[in-house]
Amino acid sequence: MRDYTIFIPEFIAAGSALGIIAVDLIWPRVRKDLLAYLCAVAAIAWAVASVFYIGKTPNSFQGLIQVDDFTTYFRLMAAGIVFCIALISPNYIRGRIDAAAEYYALLLLGCCGLVFMAAARELITAYISFELISFSLYILVGFLRRDIRSNEASLKFILLGAFASAIFLYGISFIYGATGSTYYDSISKAIDANGSNTAIVVGLMLILVGIGFKLAVVPFQMWAPDAYEGAPLPITAFIATASEVAGFGLFLRLFSSAFHTGAHEWAWAVAILSAITMTLGNLVAIQQTNIKRLVAYSSIGQVGYMLVVIAAIGYGDAHAGAGASAGLLIHITGYIISTLLLFAALIAYYNRTGHDTIRGMRGMAETQPFLALIITVALFSYAGLPFFAGFTTKLLMFQSATSNGLLWLIALGVVNSAISIYYYMMIVREMYLFDPDENVKRFSINPLLAGLAGVLLLAVLFIGIYPGPVLHGASKASTPLFQAGADATSNVTAQMLPK
Amino acid sequence: MGADQAWILVALPAAAFVVLALCGRWLPRQGDVLAVLAIGASLVLYFFVLHDFLHQRDGLVNSHEYWSIAMHHTWSNVGNFNLNFGTYVDPLSAVMVGVVTIAGTLITIFSIGYMKGEVRYWWFFAVLMGFIAAKLMLVLSDNLLLLYFAWEGVGVCSFLLIGFYWEKRSAAEAAKKAFITTRIGDVGLLIGIILLWKATGTFNIQDILTAATTGQIGHVYLFVSLMFIFLGAMGKSALFPFHVWLPDAMEGPTPVSALIHAATMVVAGVYLIARLLPAFEVVPASLLVVTIVGLVTAILTGFMALATTDIKKVLAYSTIGQLGFMYIALGCSHPDAAIMHLMTHAFFKSLLFLAAGSVIIGTHHNQDMKQLGGLWRKMPITAVTFLIGSLALAAVPPFSGFWSKDEIFHGTTAWNGGWVTFLLGFAAVLTALYTTRLFVRTFLGKPQDQAVYDNAHETGPVMVLPLIILALITCVAGFTVFNGVGRAMGFPGGFTEFVFLHEPERFVMNWSWAAASAVIAFGGVFLAGWIYWGNRITISTRLADWQPGVYNMLVNKFYFDDLYQAGIDRGLLGFSYVVSWFDRYVVNDTGVDGVADTTRYSGSILKYVQTGKVPAYALGIALGAVGLAIAGLVVRG
Repeated sequence: MRDYTIFIPEFIAAGSALGIIAVDLIWPRVRKDLLAYLCAVAAIAWAVASVFYIGKTPNSFQGLIQVDDFTTYFRLMAAGIVFCIALISPNYIRGRIDAAAEYYALLLLGCCGLVFMAAARELITAYISFELISFSLYILVGFLRRDIRSNEASLKFILLGAFASAIFLYGISFIYGATGSTYYDSISKAIDANGSNTAIVVGLMLILVGIGFKLAVVPFQMWAPDAYEGAPLPITAFIATASEVAGFGLFLRLFSSAFHTGAHEWAWAVAILSAITMTLGNLVAIQQTNIKRLVAYSSIGQVGYMLVVIAAIGYGDAHAGAGASAGLLIHITGYIISTLLLFAALIAYYNRTGHDTIRGMRGMAETQPFLALIITVALFSYAGLPFFAGFTTKLLMFQSATSNGLLWLIALGVVNSAISIYYYMMIVREMYLFDPDENVKRFSINPLLAGLAGVLLLAVLFIGIYPGPVLHGASKASTPLFQAGADATSNVTAQMLPK
Repeated sequence: MGADQAWILVALPAAAFVVLALCGRWLPRQGDVLAVLAIGASLVLYFFVLHDFLHQRDGLVNSHEYWSIAMHHTWSNVGNFNLNFGTYVDPLSAVMVGVVTIAGTLITIFSIGYMKGEVRYWWFFAVLMGFIAAKLMLVLSDNLLLLYFAWEGVGVCSFLLIGFYWEKRSAAEAAKKAFITTRIGDVGLLIGIILLWKATGTFNIQDILTAATTGQIGHVYLFVSLMFIFLGAMGKSALFPFHVWLPDAMEGPTPVSALIHAATMVVAGVYLIARLLPAFEVVPASLLVVTIVGLVTAILTGFMALATTDIKKVLAYSTIGQLGFMYIALGCSHPDAAIMHLMTHAFFKSLLFLAAGSVIIGTHHNQDMKQLGGLWRKMPITAVTFLIGSLALAAVPPFSGFWSKDEIFHGTTAWNGGWVTFLLGFAAVLTALYTTRLFVRTFLGKPQDQAVYDNAHETGPVMVLPLIILALITCVAGFTVFNGVGRAMGFPGGFTEFVFLHEPERFVMNWSWAAASAVIAFGGVFLAGWIYWGNRITISTRLADWQPGVYNMLVNKFYFDDLYQAGIDRGLLGFSYVVSWFDRYVVNDTGVDGVADTTRYSGSILKYVQTGKVPAYALGIALGAVGLAIAGLVVRG
């Protein structure tokens, strides 16, 4: 049966996207800020609609897309990202971007792609969702039409993205050729029955490359610094959050079901990629002078830490995998909140001063103490200092991922965390220990941004001090991952019924 | 509201702290009303909690059973490391909460008058609320970890309040001294808590006590961890040899001194030891240590108080002395006596401090006995309330201090040889002596400085009212020891039948003991009166002339400050010089800088990977893909 009701939240999101464009077409003179608020309201509606699916029996659309607690968790994250990005954008967009309606519509559509990447249980569906968010990002990165760096970044991103998605598709065709199916459940069964072969291994590696590109895993990370730097600031925040959430949504869903039986074929590769990624990301971050590029490399480092969990899934059984996935989900949650917090402050600062270099943040503690505090908290959270979200979530994640085979990787992660403190502190030092340049006066910031930053700040502290509720949600969300698909489950139930 | 919702008592002042700290300066009247409302509401709700607690206790068949109400939530579960937090209401914490809320409310009201027109008025009330909230959390917490957080919270708030006038160098120094000195003890406390956690696997106080009393912890191990915990209590309670910070802490505003001495800060140590007393009893040696430290403290500070002329500092020494008394009672396994003295002391000492504050305001910031005198006629209400507080401190019957000190005397008799009782009696004489001296030289006799005397005046109602209330409580609080009084108030009996360690003990008047302790008190009072009122003050100066060494020793507080300073200068700084040399040349130049240079160098090499050319990027991806695929095939073999 085709059950369209499971798509209601995305109908709302996509419908609102079209609605925003329509509003702009019909009333071209509408205040562009209103579009942002419309987009934020749509995100709230999206989240509210998603909440109704919590705890329901997993339901699937023809075995293609499955709505369960995992999907709901990603819906909530997607809606939260869109909400925050929509609210931090209007100030930045004013005077820089004229096609505001398309901007907000693409945010919503891109995040629909994100949700379907996490919800897909079939490779072609996953691929299309992958392309949906990618295309949204290509356009959004190049939205500053008069800015040559933005154009360059967008072009590079498109070319390399096309290359990577071709590789991804090639990997899918290998898998299809070897197992005869693109459904995760059937792939898993086929590998279980026949064992893996050369075609499957090659296919797996090519799919790893595709997802690795999305996540900016070394050596597929090169687009990231350029795109981060060229993109409009709110979109940098969008890439840093949505792109990573999407990548890990697909990663978790795919590698916990379809490829979990053949885990010994890829687990070592993920572990090595993780080690290279975190080390290179953190080392190069030290050399950066532009805050966007620094965030790009720091997020590459963060992806490295998160990959530890994927490797742990490969090395462990389903039970350990579910625990590790919960650790990853809570870490991603803490990470996106910290990132949005950081960018809310950076955008507020950029709007007033036009600085996006680390040197330009000199003396911020004097000129705007609240922003300096916000940035410090976000960076402390990144660095994993106690009482901030990053500490607790990273601790929970590493702890859940710890197994004997991966101790070396965890140790490397801890060393890298220590290195990362160096470059995060460089920014804090610049803000607090130096006097601002001459003629720079204390200024006030947009109350909307300040309010949003305040709420996110509280969220960072809340997760850092009392992670219980979020961890509970993350554990619930990761439960359906290692169970067979919804259709399979119902079959089992049917067999158990008395005849 | 029931006793299991006792957390609300903490939440109210904590919320007031947050609100006042964030936006206090924009509130009407800078938010002082909000502070009074918050702590007042806590006080009112406390009576509901107490009523519910007593009510549930009455339901017990055997009213001699120890009764408590615990409530806890899961805080976090990381692997097998479980943290819970919750509240624990039993007679001990019920009495403590009562003391804190009653004294806290009156002191907050008094502060409105005392702090009028001061800079950062709102900030004062914010931290005051934080201070009270931390102390309430400390006494209500059911586990050592939460207790430690609250303990540190108390420390931070006291630091902020002692250094409230941070523009004044002496205030900043005093705050630093208080913080560092207590920190040394706090480290001990933390070590002790961790040791106990390691032995039992839990932070929950009751579980730890059960483990200790059933012999699950080795005696030597238990002794060591309890000594570390006692170190924390010594630091907080300013016991010998940590006593140096408390007199300097007088730099804070006077209501703060009252709060520190009466309710929130120094008695935290007494509470902690009383709470853990069942574990101390397992190792009698630890009780002996507690007793000896208490005795030394009580006697030493008695002498120091006699040589001090600053009225607040005399009170400060008297507090340390009284704390010594409480620890002696604890060392004799009599938490009932200790807590009762804690309660009566809280009331008469906050009375004395507030009255001293009234003197300071009334004489336009004069607090040296050498310039006061004869204030009786100018400030009658302050003088009368101060007199009541002094009599209670000197343990003159029938004021509250007499009854509680009598209980302590009674408790020490369990010790063979009677040496504790004898030394305690000596300390009590000293107490009566310096208390009388303080009162006589401030309020009686001839004015020492006519200008100060002429400008002195009685203070306003917002300050006098708390004085009167506290004076009334001081007069009657001691009677709670009687069975009939306790019953009339709804308690199961007198004070010692409510708070007890093993068995409730009904108070029976022992006339010979009472007479003896009354004689001690009166003896001290009359001796001091004879010397200081009868214009025989020359006796003491002659003593100083005759034995300048002794007098200087007392004035210089037995040279403890100098000893510590020398220790820090010679020992610590010398050692730190060696360490810093090692750090600079060995650790930093070769270790840290070497690693950092290597890291930075590898970063600078790696950044050239990022060329900015699309074909190079694509090549990277392609090489990565091919490399992965080949590696996958190689691994498969």
